[in-house]
Amino acid sequence: MEDSSPASPCGGGGSQEGGEQSPPSEVGGGGGGGAGREQDRFLPIANVTRIMKKGLPANAKIAKESKEAMQECVSEFISFVTSEASHRCLNEKRKTINGDDLLWAMTQLGFDNYVEPLKLFLQKYREGGEGSAKREAGGSHPATSAMGEYQVPQQGSFTQGMNYLNSQAY
Amino acid sequence: MRQAGTYSSMLAGGMSGRTGPHSLPLARIKRIMKQSSEEVKMISGEAPIIFSKACELFIEELARRAWAAALRGKRRTLLREDVAAAIANTDLFDFLLHVVQNK
Repeated sequence: MEDSSPASPCGGGGSQEGGEQSPPSEVGGGGGGGAGREQDRFLPIANVTRIMKKGLPANAKIAKESKEAMQECVSEFISFVTSEASHRCLNEKRKTINGDDLLWAMTQLGFDNYVEPLKLFLQKYREGGEGSAKREAGGSHPATSAMGEYQVPQQGSFTQGMNYLNSQAY
Repeated sequence: MRQAGTYSSMLAGGMSGRTGPHSLPLARIKRIMKQSSEEVKMISGEAPIIFSKACELFIEELARRAWAAALRGKRRTLLREDVAAAIANTDLFDFLLHVVQNK
């Protein structure tokens, strides 16, 4: 299993992951756990930085310390929403956190303005539009065969997720 | 076991665990989700996908607010204190106060 105990943040200013094209070892899921604390607790700094830049003017500079602060904040955001969603699952005696739970949790926590864009994103994803567009930009991924899988119309869980959006009774 | 199907292939690394060069690695999102609470046992395939987009929205919003703080300080470099100021000035981000106050 993956090691779920929170790592002690003692590494100091340890080695920051560099180029971040997420090494294959990291993707193994339950495969090789404790590779490094940074990798377990935060999203890659390069990806986070890229997204930060989207929200800023082109001439903006971003200090490394603020990138790291953002990494910490994003992980906290994921935990915050996940905890709320998992409480709902517990109350309803379900074991799996699904997309519906996350959208509900975001609404509860004040991020209701994210729900609409997420709904669109899901829709695009379901149609394969978003994915294929992104992959074209990336080029090198030999993912054409895998793409077929996303378009398989047995999206049970997605439909479940969309229920929330259809019945905005919360 | 977790549902094996459409989305699990992505998490298993069929796509190097990500949906494209510009999005966030799904396997890592899932790992962070699992660490958030003991109660988190299973996570559906679409949950990390939703988070990959939600995190983008979150990062952009926090970055924009932090940038406003940098401009108030007449700077064009985003500092940690700007992120802290953005968090302090936004009720929505109260849950982050302890993150930026620690250092």
